[in-house]
Amino acid sequence: MYYIILSILFPILTGLYLLVRKEIKDRKRLLTITGIFLVISGALVILALCMAGNGIFTLFNLTERLPVLFRIDEVSVVFSVMTVIIFLCAGFYSFVYMKHEEKEKRYYGYYLMVLGVLIALCFAGNLITFYLFFELLTLSSMPLVLHNGSREAIMAGLKYLFYSLSGAYMSLFGVYFVERYGNTLTFSPGGVISAQAAAEHGGILLIVCFAMLIGFGVKAGMFPMHAWLPAAHPVAPAPASAVLSAVIVKAGVLAIVRVVYYIFGASFLRGSWVQNAWMVLTLITVFMGSMLAYREPVLKKRLAYSTVSQLSYILFGLAVMNEGSVTGGLLHVLCHGFIKTALFLCAGAIIFMTGKTKVSELRGIGKEMPFLMWCYTIVSLGLIGIPPTGGFISKWYLAEGALASGIPGFNWIGPVILLISALLTAGYLLPLTIQGFFPGADFDYSALKKKEPPLLMTVPVLILTVLSVGIGLFPQVFINYLSQIVEKII
Amino acid sequence: MIMLVILIPVIAGILVPLIPFKKRSHMEIFLETLVILNSLLVWNLLIHRPESVFTLANFTGNLSVSFKVDGMSMVFAGLVSALWPFATLYAFEYMTKEKHEKTFFTFYTMTYGVTLGISMAGNLLTMYFFYELLTLVTVPLVMHTLTREAILASRKYLYYSLGGAAFAFIGLIFVIIYGSTTDFVLGGVLDLEKIGNRSNVLLLIYVIAFMGFGVKAALCPFNSWLPDAGVAPTPVTALLHAVAVVKSGAFAIIRLTYYSFGVEFLRGTWAQNVVMLIVMFTIVYGCSRAVKETHIKRRLAYSTISNLSYILFGVTIMTPLGMVGALSHLVFHAVMKISSFFCAGAIMHQTDKHYVHELDGMGYTMPGVFGVFTVSAFALMGVPGLAGFVSKWNLASAAVESGNVIAYGGIACLLISALLTAIYMLTIVIRAFFPVKDFDFKTLDGEKDPNWKMLVPLFVFTIFMIIFGLFSAPIVNFFADVAAGIY
Repeated sequence: MYYIILSILFPILTGLYLLVRKEIKDRKRLLTITGIFLVISGALVILALCMAGNGIFTLFNLTERLPVLFRIDEVSVVFSVMTVIIFLCAGFYSFVYMKHEEKEKRYYGYYLMVLGVLIALCFAGNLITFYLFFELLTLSSMPLVLHNGSREAIMAGLKYLFYSLSGAYMSLFGVYFVERYGNTLTFSPGGVISAQAAAEHGGILLIVCFAMLIGFGVKAGMFPMHAWLPAAHPVAPAPASAVLSAVIVKAGVLAIVRVVYYIFGASFLRGSWVQNAWMVLTLITVFMGSMLAYREPVLKKRLAYSTVSQLSYILFGLAVMNEGSVTGGLLHVLCHGFIKTALFLCAGAIIFMTGKTKVSELRGIGKEMPFLMWCYTIVSLGLIGIPPTGGFISKWYLAEGALASGIPGFNWIGPVILLISALLTAGYLLPLTIQGFFPGADFDYSALKKKEPPLLMTVPVLILTVLSVGIGLFPQVFINYLSQIVEKII
Repeated sequence: MIMLVILIPVIAGILVPLIPFKKRSHMEIFLETLVILNSLLVWNLLIHRPESVFTLANFTGNLSVSFKVDGMSMVFAGLVSALWPFATLYAFEYMTKEKHEKTFFTFYTMTYGVTLGISMAGNLLTMYFFYELLTLVTVPLVMHTLTREAILASRKYLYYSLGGAAFAFIGLIFVIIYGSTTDFVLGGVLDLEKIGNRSNVLLLIYVIAFMGFGVKAALCPFNSWLPDAGVAPTPVTALLHAVAVVKSGAFAIIRLTYYSFGVEFLRGTWAQNVVMLIVMFTIVYGCSRAVKETHIKRRLAYSTISNLSYILFGVTIMTPLGMVGALSHLVFHAVMKISSFFCAGAIMHQTDKHYVHELDGMGYTMPGVFGVFTVSAFALMGVPGLAGFVSKWNLASAAVESGNVIAYGGIACLLISALLTAIYMLTIVIRAFFPVKDFDFKTLDGEKDPNWKMLVPLFVFTIFMIIFGLFSAPIVNFFADVAAGIY
């Protein structure tokens, strides 16, 4: 039991320690300390997953009816394993990348704290615990956004902060009602709203459920509250953008999974106006995100818009609420996590080695750093959804689920929009590959130099690439595991 | 005993200018000893509570000056007596840079006694008497600096407060005529037979009296005296204009609603809707003005306006749970706001900076003060684990439980206000800890944290914010007992 607390508190406390201790002059020493902290945190999470079992662990009571409690279930496993892998990869990557940024100690301090808070979110056993760490996540990840201290970064940080907080408060509005009418906030598969409560207070419960979807959807970049995401992700240092875009936004997805399937319950929401409105919003977001990404010249911004679109794939899968689509959505959580981290790390490596940020400046980049660009290309194919990568499998399940759902209209509009968006994904990711490897006849090859980034940068990218392809090659392992979750909640 | 705790501070205050102190530290020791002694007496009184009513003087008929310690008194007197020693300690350090110290401490200490008088008043008339007295003893504190601005502010304060009290007086008369007694009885004292079919008149009078007492609680549209009164020295703004004076307004409204008119009579009437809507408007209005304001103390004053209406929102829900919410915010907000005001005061005392845009990078030169400020900002926003979350939770769940649709809207107002609170508090925190890239730290040379007299109160309040946030069950249960009339 105490493994859970340890795995949450260790990164948070070590992060705090790094923040308050005085500046470390020797950079190598700082990196060694941070590296050790990161590895131990990861090991502790794995230990907690193995040892803790699935009992409920109550830490203490905020008030009489509000216990802070933790519990590990299958959803926690999926999200926490993904978080740890990505944090380790991006963490070691930043040992090289952060060389050209200032205030490294502060960066690693907040980085570790965010890791601890995310683990706590994965392990949270009821809504109030989740909400507590959800606010802490916003507050501790904001310094990562405004790290470089330029006016633009600070403005983006504030935008991130206020969007996230308004989302959190919208969901808090729902929490009050759920606590009263559901009589508990503990997550239980299938929901906590009794038939009687649903009959008496159904109308108001649907309204607050919608408020909670929009509220938690802010973190997941769902339309109409997505505008912070393209502003905040690109200004952060690349490894921070990677975790922001791949993991921190997933906290919003996790929140929605918990609220919809563990608080309200699929049977309560299926067929209601909330489900329809939610599907409309996610489809708008999918299409709009891809379109905006397609038009965007700056690589990191393009990737941020892509996150907006891809996350709503996941949310669409969750909104359809049948077996196939939810499996697809959860699988896409993993695929998108690994792929988007790899993409951001590639973009960061390009900036680190060449200082170029716009796609149009990157002609011939494939000749300069071939290994990195190969990885880029492979994960891009994954995001588009070309077999044999993981993205293909998840999108297959998403589309199949939507088709089989039998919800009039959405059962064909959904897959169509997903396909259009896939086409656009190809349109915004592949030009870099094409220009990079085939710069054209008029290109001046003599200016090219070998610029392959150092190993500490390429190896994390390689690991993530292998993982994203691995999901596609051995999908059965993942599908089997996810179906355990889906069986309980559908 | 009750008279003793009210009189000790008043007499101590009067003695300050009379005793020729050799050194300043002697006066400090004299005052601090008496204040602590008095607080101990108050706590003793609250623990060994006299059940009987203590009548000082009898006027005609059923009018009397009498005192009684009931549950509400325990909450308010306990709060005030816990805060006063710390505020006095802080004031010693703060006032080193101001003039006319003795006058200041005279009135500052007298206010302690008067506030206790309000909290322990046994009937409406006695409370009204001390309520007027409170206005009079605090006016000199507002005009302390004797600048033109301060004199105008104190004049405004005086007129607003007296005007409000006049309206409250109308309510008093009606309670005397239509009530069976003017003593405070949980559930109200109105005599339905005497009222007959005149209930609409009484509801109107309730609204008028609510607004009258609401002047001190800075209800919109009678709020403008509060930000102006911020010209007073910070210990006054922090303790009186965030806790003692304004909370007396809220306290009086609780007495009026729950103990005189009675919630049974008011719940579900148009009067409830009217006051609730006004309160909801004030919640949002105060916060929005705070976002616009760039002067630190004025910003916090507008924040007080909004937070006082949180308390009143709890009152207007008019259920026992609503009262629990109101009481918890009354106590928790006191701690949060006094600590943020003390931070603002410490900044002004150490660096003479008054505006938000001057605070860049100061988190590194005054880490103690800004650390405490950050905690109080989080608490005011309602981050779980800190005091503000618990009180907002109580208010909101009371609103949900009441099933009143307007109260649902009130929850939305609370949350909008929480977001605005985040905006006006966190912009300060971010400026202090994350200055822009090429910020020149040399401009901050020589700035440092204040000495222990200022820091100790700050740290104590921070610890309380955390304790109330994490282990609120005992104190909230106590409030529930008060609301149920057990005390």
